[in-house]
Amino acid sequence: MAVSTVYTTQSLNSTCSISTPAKTHLGSHQKHVVLFRRTSKRGSSGSCAIKCSAGDSQTVVIGLAADSGCGKSTFMRRLTSVFGGAAEPPKGGNPDSNTLISDMTTVICLDDYHSLDRTGRKEKGVTALDPRANDFDLMYDQVKALKSGVAVDKPIYNHVTGLLDPPELIKPPKILVIEGLHPMFDERVRDLLDFSIYLDISNEVKFAWKIQRDMAERGHSLESIKASIEARKPDFDAYIDPQKKYADAVIEVLPTQLIPDDNEGKVLRVRLIMKEGVKHFSPVYLFDEGSTISWIPCGRKLTCSYPGIKFHYGPDTYFGNEVSILEMDGQFDRLDELIYVESHLSNISTKFYGEVTQQMLKHADFPGSNNGTGLFQTIVGLKIRDLYEQITSSKTAAPLEATKA
Amino acid sequence: MATLRLHSLTGAREEIPTPSFVSNPRMLSPSFHCNKKRVSRRMTVNAMGGGAKYKGTLMREKQLTEMIEKKVTEAKQVCEGDETSDECKVAWDEVEEVSQAKADLRLRLEVEKKDPLESFCQENPETEECKVYEDW
Repeated sequence: MAVSTVYTTQSLNSTCSISTPAKTHLGSHQKHVVLFRRTSKRGSSGSCAIKCSAGDSQTVVIGLAADSGCGKSTFMRRLTSVFGGAAEPPKGGNPDSNTLISDMTTVICLDDYHSLDRTGRKEKGVTALDPRANDFDLMYDQVKALKSGVAVDKPIYNHVTGLLDPPELIKPPKILVIEGLHPMFDERVRDLLDFSIYLDISNEVKFAWKIQRDMAERGHSLESIKASIEARKPDFDAYIDPQKKYADAVIEVLPTQLIPDDNEGKVLRVRLIMKEGVKHFSPVYLFDEGSTISWIPCGRKLTCSYPGIKFHYGPDTYFGNEVSILEMDGQFDRLDELIYVESHLSNISTKFYGEVTQQMLKHADFPGSNNGTGLFQTIVGLKIRDLYEQITSSKTAAPLEATKA
Repeated sequence: MATLRLHSLTGAREEIPTPSFVSNPRMLSPSFHCNKKRVSRRMTVNAMGGGAKYKGTLMREKQLTEMIEKKVTEAKQVCEGDETSDECKVAWDEVEEVSQAKADLRLRLEVEKKDPLESFCQENPETEECKVYEDW
C-alpha cells in the first residue's frame, strides 16, 4: 500500500474509521488516505493508523429479494455475466457453500444468516421466512464491513444437511450482491443498499414453475406442491411480500394475457416496475419518457409466431411511489425479433448496439431466455453496471474537491 | 448414514497428503477401506444427466431425493390434525427447502455441466466423496 501524498490536518473527523493496518486489503485500485497521529509521549507505540477510505474502495451493494433459492438463480448468473466472467463457488472451500464469486462480483446468500438451523426452526415452530429464524444484527454488521472494505468470516447454511457449517472468509468485492428472502427487511441493511430488486412471481406462475420443478420427484404430486405453497403463503405475505415497496426495481411475473385461459405458465407477461428519482438509475423507456405506449412489434417488418409479443410502457404509482412500468407479454422466437425490440428501447445502458441481444444469446439455455424475464433481468444487469460506474466515478471525483481546500 | 460422511466433508479440514499429480483418479478406488458405516444399497447410476462425476455428488442427490419423499410424508401426517398449525407450516417449508436444493443441484449438473465437488476434489482426490465412478 503506497502513500502518495501526505497532508496535515487539525482535527480528525468522526467519519474516519480507526482500524489496525489490515492484511485484507486487496488490489492496487484502492486508494486510501492514511492519517498518522503523532503521539506526544516517547516510547509509546502510537501506531494508530486512522484510515479514511476514499475513491473506489467502497463496495457497491445490491440487494435481490427472491424466493427461488440463492446464488444459483439465473438472475444472478445473468447479472454476473454482464460484468464479465463466470461466477463460481469459492475454490477449495466448503462444497456446499452458497456463495458465488467472479472477478467483479460476490453473491452472498442470505440464508447464511439463519440464526436457527433446520432442527432449531422445527423446535421453535418457525419457517425460514420468519424473521425470528434470521440474525439481522450479523447480516447488518457483515454487509456494513464488506461495504467499507473489510473482509468477514461469514457463516454457511448448508441446504443439504440443514446445519450451520463453519464460516468462510469473504473478501470485499467491487460489487456485493445479497440475495435471499430478506435483503430489505431490516432498515439498517436497507440503508446500505445502493440498489434493490424484488422478484415478484404471481401465485399462478409460482405454481406452474414449481410443478415443472418438482413433478418428476418421487414423493411429489400436484397436491403436495399445492399444499407446500399454501402452507408457506401466510409467512410469505407477512414477511417477504411487504419488501416490494422498498425496491428500486420490481420484476413482476404474471400469466400471459395473450392466450385465453392459459394455465401452463409457459408464455409470460413480465412487468419491470422502476422507481423514479433513484440516484444513478434512469428507467428504461419506449419512445418517450413519461408517455404511455402500447406497442406490438410484429407486423409488416417482423413476423412473429403465435401468440406474438406485446409491449406496454407508461408512468404509474406503486405503493405511493412514482414509477415507470415497462411490460412485455409473449415470447421471442427468433434472433431478429430480439434485435428489433432492443433497437427501440431507450436508456438500456448498453455499451454497444446489440449488447442485450448478445447477453441473451450467451445464456440461451437459461430459463426465461425467450421472454420478458430474461430480457428484463439482462437489462437490470446493465443498469446495475451503469450505476456502479457512476458511483465509482463520482467517488474518485470527490477527493479531488476535498484537496483543493 | 450418508449424513455422517457429509459432515466429515464440511467439518475441519484434515491435511491429506496428496500426490502432486494424479493422472488417473480412477486408480484410487476399489481397495479403499471405509471404516465409517456403509450405505447398504449399492449406488446406482441415476439418470440425472450431465456432469455428475464424483461419488459425493451422487450421494447428495440420493440423499435429497430420499429427503423429499420423507418430508412430504411427514408434512402430510403433521398437517392432518391442523392445517394452520405452526408444525404444519414448518413441515411444508422443509419440503420446499429440500425440493429447491435438489433443483439447484440438478440445474448445476444439467445446465452448467459441472460437478459441484470439482474444485474440492481436485484438492482432495483421495477422499471417499471424490471417488469417480467407472460405470459410465
